[in-house]
Amino acid sequence: MRPFAVAAAAVALAAAAGVAALLVAGREGYEWTLPAGVPPPPVPDDNPMSAAKVELGRRLFYDTRLSVNGSMACATCHRQELAFTDGRARSIGATGEVHPRGAMTLANAGYASRLTWANPLLDTLEVQALTPLFGDDPVEMGMAGREADIVELVRSDPWYRAAFEEAFPSDAKPWSTLNVVRAIAAFVRTIVSFDSPYDRYLRGDESALSPSAVRGMQLFFSERLECFHCHGGFNFTDSSTHANAIVTPFGFHNNGLYNIGSTGAYPPDNTGLHDITGERRDMGRFKAPTLRNVAVTAPYMHDGSMRTLDEVVEHYRRGGRLVEDGPYAGDGRRNPYKSAFVRGFELTAEEKMDLIAFLASLTDLSLLTNPRYADPCRATSNLAENCVSRHDQYVSRK
Amino acid sequence: MRPLLTLSIACLAGCSGATSPIDIPFEVRFGDATIGCTDDTSGFTLTDLRFYVYDIELEGDDGPVPLELVADPPWQSQDVALLDFEDGEGACTNGTPTMRSVVRGRAPAQGYEGLRFRIGVPEHLNHGDPLTAAAPLQDTSMHWHWTSGYRFLRAGIAREDDGFWIHLGSTRCEGTVTEPGGCRSSNRPLVELPDYVAGEDTVVLDLAKLFDGIDLDDGEPGSCSSGPPETSCEAPFAALGLDFATGEVRRPAAAFEARKAR
Repeated sequence: MRPFAVAAAAVALAAAAGVAALLVAGREGYEWTLPAGVPPPPVPDDNPMSAAKVELGRRLFYDTRLSVNGSMACATCHRQELAFTDGRARSIGATGEVHPRGAMTLANAGYASRLTWANPLLDTLEVQALTPLFGDDPVEMGMAGREADIVELVRSDPWYRAAFEEAFPSDAKPWSTLNVVRAIAAFVRTIVSFDSPYDRYLRGDESALSPSAVRGMQLFFSERLECFHCHGGFNFTDSSTHANAIVTPFGFHNNGLYNIGSTGAYPPDNTGLHDITGERRDMGRFKAPTLRNVAVTAPYMHDGSMRTLDEVVEHYRRGGRLVEDGPYAGDGRRNPYKSAFVRGFELTAEEKMDLIAFLASLTDLSLLTNPRYADPCRATSNLAENCVSRHDQYVSRK
Repeated sequence: MRPLLTLSIACLAGCSGATSPIDIPFEVRFGDATIGCTDDTSGFTLTDLRFYVYDIELEGDDGPVPLELVADPPWQSQDVALLDFEDGEGACTNGTPTMRSVVRGRAPAQGYEGLRFRIGVPEHLNHGDPLTAAAPLQDTSMHWHWTSGYRFLRAGIAREDDGFWIHLGSTRCEGTVTEPGGCRSSNRPLVELPDYVAGEDTVVLDLAKLFDGIDLDDGEPGSCSSGPPETSCEAPFAALGLDFATGEVRRPAAAFEARKAR
């Protein structure tokens, strides 16, 4: 990982030299911290941004009282130090149920034109938030049918009581599940990642990338490897949009992970877009996730079935994965529904190292460490002690 | 019946006040046995049983008459009613303590023999946000976030390591949550009980019929999420009278019957 260490050092140097991010004024006076030329994410008309709402959303994001047994918060599966993933192949809900898929990164989630791994219907963070909070197949936070508990929590906790009034000043009774979801979505929209060594390189700092990472970048954007067709654009995914976008593109791709019994089938609990449409041609089609911070979001693929970036690159080099035995046996390279861009390529050992060095250059250390995204109850603030004692009271009452 | 008949004709001409309350009681059974979250008389307990009904019609002297639903939150609006047979106890781990086994409505005062209704949420209400919707559509445990609509019915039974559950709702939906484009599989069953006498009889959902054709002894808990790829849905869809491939009504749901008072 030498190239990555060099790149990381370059980040620290650049930061020390005072390369400041520009503030972009958004609607309602909210100031986005974004580099020049990067538009803000789209914001729904009925949930305008404000600093008060974002701060409220941050507290809610880290509050385990939003789960049925007080055991997990949004942040349990979306840990900042892992670019808001959880390091698991498949996430585990509050009551122990294992999710069929892994938690996706929240970095630049506000720019996602479609949310989750394979759902063409989900287009706003506000609606997406309902699934982890209230979903029961599988249970994630397990709050289905417990809206009254949520309302009671935010109305009776003095900090929340005041914070909801401040964040939703035009609501006579702002303590609602709807506003909980809106505040969390507003906070998640602020989790942006545009300060990787690669970004600094694009902004003119040639020392930000090692020579190996530069060679890897050229491979990434080459027609030989084809990576950028699905993982292209400012967010390294073809399912991205922004506040000034005229069209909202999105795509779902079968990348040849499975081909059970040579029928094209994927494991039955995880067939991707096909789960939604029922169309055979949609078998195994998943969203290409952003590759920003990919070096810290292992394991990979919707089901976490690849542990390392080396395995991932090898999979694409081969043009699909060969599952030799077991119930999912089959040659993914021959999956009839596979994307035309996943056709395999030649790659030397050195080129593979270069490509992985480039992928590592997409890690944004400021995202992983920025205190504005951290648990406000753990930060050194007056709030911290308050949060802990109230949480203990709550859990002991349950 | 003569004075009542006159009344109903008058109402067809435009009056709105001359209706009487009509309650339609519902019951759940497993074959001949009772069943509940903690009632295992049948060998099974419930793990869940909640469903929406709408478009209710009674067969009157001069043809079908719509039952006007009475707004009765949190269970009913004038458009749709929720029935709930789970109390959150026992195996009903995702449930709630409150229950409801009646649909309350009004219709012109006369005798009715014959009842017809749909299981589900009317399309014009199916794609709203549960956090802003009026009761009974405010219930997050009935909402099916990832399909952009509601679960019309959630029903499940279990014993030891075996059991089955179904979540029924519209699938193959298009557009987005923000701009819904309708669903290709409606999946709204039709219930038709020609000999149901209003004011006397009870509507029975027989779970033995709903889950007929499911292997409940294979040691593998099964499920159906109305998903187009799930072959496990074929049997319960047949019991609900739905064409699994298209989501259209093929025949009235055989899992429902009228229990005659006499």
